[in-house]
Amino acid sequence: MNGTGRQVPVAALMACLAVICAAHPAVAHTGTGLPGGFASGFFHPLTGFDHLLAMVSVGLWGAFLGRPLIVALPVIFPAVMVAGAAMGMANLPLPPVEVGIAVSVLVLGLAIALAWKAPIWAACLIVGVFAIFHGYAHGKELPSAADPIGYAVGFVLCTGSLHVAGLGIGLLNARPGGATVTRGLGAGVAIAGLWLLYRALVA
Amino acid sequence: MRGGALPPALLCAALGFALAFAPRRMIAPCLTLMAAAALAASLTAVPTSWDDAIFFGCWLSVVAAASAVHLPGGVGRRLALGLSLNTGLWCGAVIALAGARRDLLVSLPLSLLCLPGHLLVARGRSMFLKVPASWLIAVALLAVSLQLAPTTPGYRPDHMD
Repeated sequence: MNGTGRQVPVAALMACLAVICAAHPAVAHTGTGLPGGFASGFFHPLTGFDHLLAMVSVGLWGAFLGRPLIVALPVIFPAVMVAGAAMGMANLPLPPVEVGIAVSVLVLGLAIALAWKAPIWAACLIVGVFAIFHGYAHGKELPSAADPIGYAVGFVLCTGSLHVAGLGIGLLNARPGGATVTRGLGAGVAIAGLWLLYRALVA
Repeated sequence: MRGGALPPALLCAALGFALAFAPRRMIAPCLTLMAAAALAASLTAVPTSWDDAIFFGCWLSVVAAASAVHLPGGVGRRLALGLSLNTGLWCGAVIALAGARRDLLVSLPLSLLCLPGHLLVARGRSMFLKVPASWLIAVALLAVSLQLAPTTPGYRPDHMD
């Protein structure tokens, strides 16, 4: 094993030590007893599969697009999502949010299914616009009384983890036949987006 | 509930990410400076009327430190020292205002994330720092937004109901 190879376990150990030292039970379930706080925020994105599919798709599409978008998309999304959340908190008007979220699932699924190599500006714009809709919806749900900051931390951490999960699925692209699998997953996401869109417009 | 160890911990984590992009020889002086500044600030008597301003400064410092990971050419010597001093002061002030001194023991170790972070940057894996840094920026901006909004609309039927 060379010197660099030895550094990786050391790095992992140091990261673990830093996190263990920082562990503190008060980070979860604090406040008034209302369903807020870190755990509530963390699990919230997992309870609605529109958000879940869109977040995983952002990471997966980033993996398809490669550098620099593999980093840029997961970085842009949370930042713009906050702008949407602020708009939601301020009750600013926005076109029907349910439709916007359904369209985000549909478009991201199609982009993956078709392996669309969008230009950098277009990919950033598409992801940024969709992030506003997702942020707006969740900005309206931020709890008032029960540890909203803990809720926000959990919510953002879960959203980011879903991006990373999408990037992880994107590693399949490097394997023989892997791109077919991920494009198939994209097609599945697009179909789910169609159903969500139908539900938002008709049901 | 916005006090305690959470805001300083996130600020220390953001500093850890930023220092991962600083020259290696700067890490020890920066961490020492940050810890000393945090300890000194935590011992001061902060007026409770400064509550909003202190938290506002803390969250903006998270944004500044986490944004530094995107600087082309990395974090320079002076900036690293400046961010460390700034982090220490705001951490100490938040803990003096709305925490217990033991919260320092919970928060400050997170700045050690700079050590594994430095190895990741050296191996060209800086995306593993840039992506979590963007999460910290998002949390901090949400916290600032929450501070500016008198009440949040929460607990109404959401977009899935």
